[in-house]
Amino acid sequence: MATKPKSRTPATATARERRKLETVAATTRDDAESKFDRLVYERVRLGIMSALAVREEMSFNELKGLFDISDGNLGGHARKLEDAGYITCTKSFEDRRPRTAYRITEPGRAALNRYLDHVEAVIRATRG
Amino acid sequence: MPAKIVNLDLHAIATLRYIRASMDGAGSVAIPGSAGIAMGGIGLVAGALSLTPNLARYWLPIWLVAAPLAAIVGALLLARSGSITTFVATGTPGRKLALGLLPSLFAGAVITAVLWSVDRTNAIPGTWLLLYGCGLISASVSTTAIVARMGACFTGLGLMALSGPALLHIPLLALGFGGLHILFGILIARGAHGHET
Repeated sequence: MATKPKSRTPATATARERRKLETVAATTRDDAESKFDRLVYERVRLGIMSALAVREEMSFNELKGLFDISDGNLGGHARKLEDAGYITCTKSFEDRRPRTAYRITEPGRAALNRYLDHVEAVIRATRG
Repeated sequence: MPAKIVNLDLHAIATLRYIRASMDGAGSVAIPGSAGIAMGGIGLVAGALSLTPNLARYWLPIWLVAAPLAAIVGALLLARSGSITTFVATGTPGRKLALGLLPSLFAGAVITAVLWSVDRTNAIPGTWLLLYGCGLISASVSTTAIVARMGACFTGLGLMALSGPALLHIPLLALGFGGLHILFGILIARGAHGHET
């Protein structure tokens, strides 16, 4: 369950600024699940999640080419997302060659949406 | 402090741009250069046959055979690419590619039939080049930028064919469907402007 986020609003903030900052704080999870949400914040992992949000399935090589990173780097990030239950990994053979494919899960999509909500709130608070 | 708030804002916008770029990258079709080269080869053969004096009057049937043949060869080479198989089968971008290209090809087929029925076949080469170019520009939304440039070149050739003398029509067809396909196929294969998987 989500707990009430700790207020970080400066004492000097006006009422309007305080409302905006509270909106941002409301989209920041400080509960036990937040350690999983933080997984999404890392740049490559965020890219993987974003790419899988528009493609039902992407292979290891497609993701590697998209982000121009090494096998080990991609494998490490993908493993963390997989361990968190945000993506699934299937291994198969295609033309006798091993093929690894990834798909985003519903919890993964929800985590990405939460992150997008947070970014949107930050922009609204600072621009609106 | 206000300065920190602005930094946060810029960071958030940069993050959104990165997410958008990742989504766009995942949603683009990697066109293999080999497809363009093969289609261009068929175009050159069709052009050569059409320019042969004995066969010149059969230019329309020659190109009507060459067009679907090139399309099939191109589609097969696309399907050989690992990405496109899952892509067309599962993803929205595959539909975007088809929706970008097919309406122009359909319009080209209909207009060809109409022009043929009213004996205005002189306008067919320019129409084909123009509509194919427009289709490529539309399809480039879900592929790479180089496809849009190729489409622009086709459109330019189409305008030349529509406004130029009939003598130039078949050479322009060969230059477009043969030369441009091969040229851009090589550029794509070399990764000069796009990427190939």
